[in-house]
Amino acid sequence: MRSLQIPKSPKVISGVVILGVFIVLTVIGPWIAPYSPNTNRFSTSQMPSWHHLLGTTLLGQDVFSQLLVGCRETMVVGFVAGFIATVLSIVVGLAAGYIGGKTDEGLSLLSNVFLAIPGLPLMIVINSYLPPGKQANPLVIGVVISLTGWAWGARVLRAQTMSLRDRDFVEAARIIGESRRRIMFGEIGPNLLPVLASSLLFTILYAVGLFTTLAFLGLTPLSTWNWGTMLYWSNTQNAAIAGQWWWVGPPGIAIALVGTSLALINFGIDEFINPRLRAGGLSARQRRKVGMSRRPHLGFTPVRRVSATKPTGSN
Amino acid sequence: MTLEHNILDVQDFCVDYGYGESAVRAVSDVSFTLGASRVLGVAGESGSGKSTLVYGLTRLLRAPGVISDGEVTFTIGAEGDQRAFDLLAATEQDLRAIRWSHISIVLQSALSALNPMRRIGREFDEVLRTHDKNSSKESRHERAIELLAMVGLDADRLDRFPHELSGGQRQRIMIAMALALRPELVIMDEPTTALDVVTQREIVSELYELRRQLGFAMIFITHDLSLLVELADEIMVMYAGHIVERAAATDLYHAPRHPYTLGLMNSFPPLHGERKELSGIPGTPPDLKSLPAGCSFSPRCAYAMDICHSSKPPLVPVDETGRLAACWLHDPSHSHSVPVELARKHVRGVEAQ
Amino acid sequence: MRVILRRLGVYAFTAWVTITVNFILPRLMPGNPFDQIAAKLTGVVTAQELQAIKIQLGGDINQPMIEQYWHYLNQLAHFNLGVSITLSSPVSTILAGQIWWTVGLIGVAAVLSFLIGTVLGVVFGWMRGSRADNVIPVATFLQSVPYYFLGTVLIMAFASHWHFFPLENAYDLSITPGWHWDFISSLLRHSELPILSIVLSSLAGWMLGMRNMMVTIAGEDFVLMAVAKGLPRRRVIWHAARSAILPSIANFTLAIGLLVSGSLLVEQIFNYPGVGNLILEAVGGEDYPLIQGIFLLITFTVLGASFLADILYYVLDPRIRTATAH
Ligand SMILES: Nc1ncnc2c1ncn2[C@@H]1O[C@H](COP(=O)(O)OP(=O)(O)O)[C@@H](O)[C@H]1O
Ligand SMILES: [Mg+2]
Repeated sequence: MRSLQIPKSPKVISGVVILGVFIVLTVIGPWIAPYSPNTNRFSTSQMPSWHHLLGTTLLGQDVFSQLLVGCRETMVVGFVAGFIATVLSIVVGLAAGYIGGKTDEGLSLLSNVFLAIPGLPLMIVINSYLPPGKQANPLVIGVVISLTGWAWGARVLRAQTMSLRDRDFVEAARIIGESRRRIMFGEIGPNLLPVLASSLLFTILYAVGLFTTLAFLGLTPLSTWNWGTMLYWSNTQNAAIAGQWWWVGPPGIAIALVGTSLALINFGIDEFINPRLRAGGLSARQRRKVGMSRRPHLGFTPVRRVSATKPTGSN
Repeated sequence: MTLEHNILDVQDFCVDYGYGESAVRAVSDVSFTLGASRVLGVAGESGSGKSTLVYGLTRLLRAPGVISDGEVTFTIGAEGDQRAFDLLAATEQDLRAIRWSHISIVLQSALSALNPMRRIGREFDEVLRTHDKNSSKESRHERAIELLAMVGLDADRLDRFPHELSGGQRQRIMIAMALALRPELVIMDEPTTALDVVTQREIVSELYELRRQLGFAMIFITHDLSLLVELADEIMVMYAGHIVERAAATDLYHAPRHPYTLGLMNSFPPLHGERKELSGIPGTPPDLKSLPAGCSFSPRCAYAMDICHSSKPPLVPVDETGRLAACWLHDPSHSHSVPVELARKHVRGVEAQ
Repeated sequence: MRVILRRLGVYAFTAWVTITVNFILPRLMPGNPFDQIAAKLTGVVTAQELQAIKIQLGGDINQPMIEQYWHYLNQLAHFNLGVSITLSSPVSTILAGQIWWTVGLIGVAAVLSFLIGTVLGVVFGWMRGSRADNVIPVATFLQSVPYYFLGTVLIMAFASHWHFFPLENAYDLSITPGWHWDFISSLLRHSELPILSIVLSSLAGWMLGMRNMMVTIAGEDFVLMAVAKGLPRRRVIWHAARSAILPSIANFTLAIGLLVSGSLLVEQIFNYPGVGNLILEAVGGEDYPLIQGIFLLITFTVLGASFLADILYYVLDPRIRTATAH
């Protein structure tokens, strides 16, 4: 088994740092917010200042406080939906890939169906049938999102399981008579970890995106705050046309940053899964450090006569 | 025997993987010459640096491979009208012009060497057109059929995709393609390793025949020494990036001088002839990052002496024929007697004990 | 060919599931939306149309479920999607009028972003290790920006600072639609910004995917062989790109769903006519027949696009194409 060392590239590190900041804000955001997000006693539509780091809305609310408070709901829904969906995709993907046969066909069909039905329209339809006035609580929405978002992960995990199923170490476990469940979770599971992690990241990304979109459409409760509802209010009150960038910008950028951090971490996982993304991948800066002016071109091996400092292995 | 010029002249060739501090040396100070129309065999266990050597010589080595020292001169043309190229100084343009029309290469896995998206015919067409822009489509098609016939394949293979062919057919196609432009030098990197024994033998005898007809020079890599005796004029044995022995093919095969060569021979059954007990070589090839002091082979060598663990043996002539080996056993100042299995006499044509 | 038929089967099944979900959903929900709607609609539509809506929404609870279902399928087969409550005309007529805007906008944007993203991905993949790598973090960020947010930012930039682009509607409403240059140029001008937002938001995904695949494929022996054969760089890149594009096409199903979802909102942001704008109005007005009709339409469009992508994959990958032939 390979060691689970994710390459520590600058990309991965910055991804982890950004995500870490948002996770911290998820916990402490509502506590450190200077004002209540609902208070509308400030002068309206102010540019950012020391009193209001991100200015105020048309209704005289503090944007910075809304951003801090809204972080929690956005992240919690995204992560909850991401985790549930990943659990579903593990169950479906592992079962389909490992058991094979009719089970596989049935489950694959199911994944294909869920993969093909676009999530947002489906969520809109489901949402529209909820009894009037009884908009679902954000967590329920998160659960529904997870039901629409597991299929991709299941497909990737199935493929990976199938390729692992026939490898030697699994074969060996089967021969010494380990139970099917032991093999599935004990032998195949750990080897699926990188694929699983990558699928988890994408599902969280998907869930955050879908949830904030629904909120942007005003389809989540407007009584609580998340980044999507912030965009909903700024949109309904034409903040963009009015040029109120301090109101429109922060929630959108925050959503994009969370997405970016997840994608950056995924680069590391990709490099782990696929060594070609890493081998020979000398960045422009590393190259300058060792004094190579030109990046190696495929099929034109560089010649560097550095006989003065003979590297190890030459004795 | 006419005096032939050297098509390839390699001096102190070194290849590293990695840059600066983290570099490891995968090929160290390799020197040899290859006469036009001659065959050089390169043998050694997997990981000994054979591929790195030939990819390096042709500048095809992928990053993080770097050529860190040496000279490589490639000379073509008849006597009196010779052109020499310094392959290590050549520009991308020069290399493109030399590649395939003068030096071609066949890889171990033909399946991965052929573009899975393309029909065989298109690959032939492309390579023929690139090096002769004025040729007509028909003439290229005819040439492709002719090339396939040379390796015993029907013309209908041209319409096939690689995945529709057997391993032997694919490798024959690679060989045909390597000969398409009548290159002076063909490099074969374990072309038969992935094939079954019967196909292996067929292809080797086909190669022998083709070489007799076309007279190209060849570097043939394998880890199976017995294959080489039939093809090669001279054999180089590599270990941990170094040449440990170099001699005429039959001399080396029938009377090895280096313990590693001896071990290598005992690892494979001879292609023809009676089967012997295979003993192999104990242990595993060393990690290039931490090579043992002295002779790299010493930890696995049954004959190792004290000096072998402290001082690296140079590649020097070990008898009056001028054959080379890098082993202290053959240095009288360090060793009183050479073990009998490393001191066999071999008279050409006669198998001496 | 069997592969294609299989895929077709999957899509047919998915279509059936979608239709059935559409049938069951209203019946699952607590309460009965029909009663409210019936009240709203009495006198607005004919009794026959009312019956159709009733079936669709599960109002006619006297019939056995299976009969309701059968009736529902029958109505669908005749493109009878009921009558819109807010717009008081048949849903199928409304959709027929709006779908082309959406298909036009999203189609053009999707093709553009796929082409540009793929070409950039090939180039950046090939130039891996050069300064061009700095584009990765930027692209990653761009990829994560929600479509509607990017649209909003563009509006903000162009509304308050530069007045390059028209910001609303599909054409200048003072021009009569027709086949004349004024109208067509107005049409093009008005689509620029929405298309730009869709292309910018979706481009990065294709690009990063393609870059990764190029880097991976460039590690294959056959690409090195192309170099060893002395082929010009252009041809070597083509060898690699031709294989690298396949996963992009295979991921199309996933991508097209996200793209369509995102684009629906772009329509809304730019007040561009089309299904996206319509669905939000429908949700606002609790126009259930319209919501359902749109959902079916979008899903079928996505299924159709995915199927086209499958056919393309089949055409492009000889390993699948010839799998059954020999
Ligand atoms: N990309 C690489 N990076 C670092 N080391 C490498 C790389 N490729 C090969 N090596 C090392 O170089 C040595 C020689 O490899 P190779 O030339 O492939 O051997 P052979 O062809 O004789 O089997 C091996 O020890 C291998 O571990
Ligand atoms: Mg090799």
